[in-house]
Amino acid sequence: MARYRYLFSQLVRRELRRKYKGSRFGVLWYLINPLVLLGVYTLMFGYVFKLQSIPDFPIFLMVGLVVWSFFAQSLMAAADSLIEQGGLVRKARFPRQAIPASTVAVQLVTMVAMLVLLVPLAVALRGTLVPALLLLPVLVGLLFCFVLGCALIVAVLHAYFRDVGPILAAALLPWFFLTPIFFEPGSIGYVHRHELVGTLLQWVNPIAPFVQAIRSVVYDGGGPGWGRLLYAALAAGAALALGSFVFRRMESELAVVV
Amino acid sequence: MRRGEVVLRDATRSFSVRADPARTLKGLLLGKRAPGPAPVPALRGVTLRIEPGQTVGMVGRNGAGKTSTLRVLAGIVPLQSGEVACGGRVLALLELAAGFSRDFSGRENVFLQGALYGLSKREVNDRLEQIIDFAELGEFIDIPVKTYSSGMFVRLGFAIAAHLDADVLLIDEVLAVGDESFQRKCMRRIAEQIAAGATVVLVSHDPGAIERVCERVVVLDAGRVVFDGPTAEGLLHYHQLMGTVQGGGRSYRHVHRGAAGVTDVELRDAAGRASSVFRSGEELRLAVEVRAPVRDRAELTLELRAGEGVTLFRTSTPFEPGPDGRAELLFEVPELWLLGGDYDLLLGVAPGGEEPVFDRTVRFSVPSGPGAQGLLDLRGSWRSLTAARSGAQ
Repeated sequence: MARYRYLFSQLVRRELRRKYKGSRFGVLWYLINPLVLLGVYTLMFGYVFKLQSIPDFPIFLMVGLVVWSFFAQSLMAAADSLIEQGGLVRKARFPRQAIPASTVAVQLVTMVAMLVLLVPLAVALRGTLVPALLLLPVLVGLLFCFVLGCALIVAVLHAYFRDVGPILAAALLPWFFLTPIFFEPGSIGYVHRHELVGTLLQWVNPIAPFVQAIRSVVYDGGGPGWGRLLYAALAAGAALALGSFVFRRMESELAVVV
Repeated sequence: MRRGEVVLRDATRSFSVRADPARTLKGLLLGKRAPGPAPVPALRGVTLRIEPGQTVGMVGRNGAGKTSTLRVLAGIVPLQSGEVACGGRVLALLELAAGFSRDFSGRENVFLQGALYGLSKREVNDRLEQIIDFAELGEFIDIPVKTYSSGMFVRLGFAIAAHLDADVLLIDEVLAVGDESFQRKCMRRIAEQIAAGATVVLVSHDPGAIERVCERVVVLDAGRVVFDGPTAEGLLHYHQLMGTVQGGGRSYRHVHRGAAGVTDVELRDAAGRASSVFRSGEELRLAVEVRAPVRDRAELTLELRAGEGVTLFRTSTPFEPGPDGRAELLFEVPELWLLGGDYDLLLGVAPGGEEPVFDRTVRFSVPSGPGAQGLLDLRGSWRSLTAARSGAQ
């Protein structure tokens, strides 16, 4: 495995530059796109259709969006990755996990870059320069493991069953609105009256605890809470274990199907 | 398992030939698949043991399972039953032009492809100059590969793969690409690897290349090994399989009843057996059956061409068809002084004095021996004159 570390870094470089090679702004597009998205959502949901009165709503929203974009973009890119790199898969024998992993790594780079822009802004506006901020790298690491595990499953399944990509794309849209990105489940009256809905929104949706934990650190300036931290660790471990297992079980025929 | 050893035991593998090789979820959920052609078996129980350092040629028709065997040996495609094992670093030269990133320069692609075969950055760096040199790309190495010609892709692909120091080298038809001087360079590079002790499995449709490189030939047909043994015998087997020995080679046009033409051709060795491999200096006989309208004066023309199409020799003979319009002719060459390579004999019949239309071609090959190079052995010898003069003074 260590022998292929260099392959992984090469794949990441290639993936990073492939999409926008030859364009004027190059890798900057990786930031421009999410920034535009952030701007639109902030404008629409923060000012035009104001849903809840959340102070510094743009910051609140951006934290959630950054986490969600990493999750959704990684899975979508991973789904196509093995087919797109079919030439490599058919050519040589190497750990094929490197291909979906490199797409996730590229998205991680984007997310970290966004956080580097966002965190100082949050610290300045919200005064969240607290020790809990040190937990942010840990949370990002756990999120990466969680997404990587999911990406491995999605990538290998899509190579065999080409419906997986479209199903995923369709599922991500409602999933986006059900994830606490625009709202804080704890401060919605309806959720207070129906405890089950609150549980569903905050704990059954596996990405929700990550969103809320990272937001509590960056936006609220408080600890994520032991529950969420434990949840994130378990989800990351389980996703990674399941992802590697499924991938290893299914990878043998990849050179034939892609 | 020793380094360079290759073992394949009872290997079977079939492939789906459906337009949608990947299954759909719908089919999976409904528990049935749309009707379609059954999977095509590519390997049906192939057993092969190759000792370290051996060079093996693999021949057979299209679809006989040659490339599948290589893909199995390289570990890219798994077996459905049987065993496969290769000792040491296995390197497959498959799809040489594949896997390049079109927007990246040749140099950047060298790093990626090197990494794909498991090299570290330093290992690629150490070989970079040699690879660029070998690929003959010059300043093109720093230009995006999307501007490359297909020949440049393959040259770069081969250059990368050939500098990786494999214990087992699997080569698929790559020698059929590039210009002649590059092909020669590839062969030299392969020879170097063999000299360094690598095991080589070479798939090729070129009997000449197999003859030059391999000590052993495996003939595959319909997913089975039909011959496994020394090269000369193996190539004969291959020619028989391909129908290039008996029944008189390829026909360019159908000869109608009553029209003039060549109906059958056979190449025979000194003992009168059908053959398509002749050693330099051996006897070659060509038996020809021709047909021409009775009472017409007709002429049979024979032309010998080297593999590249150069005419080496041409001769004609008039013949008298019998009452059934047929005639049998024999052309005898007591000593065939051709050198290693593939040759074609073209045959055609025409009314006397007219330019013939060649209807038949038979191919034969001459194994290369040591010493002389070229097409013809002039049977000359060298003698020093200086010694004789000084003796006379």
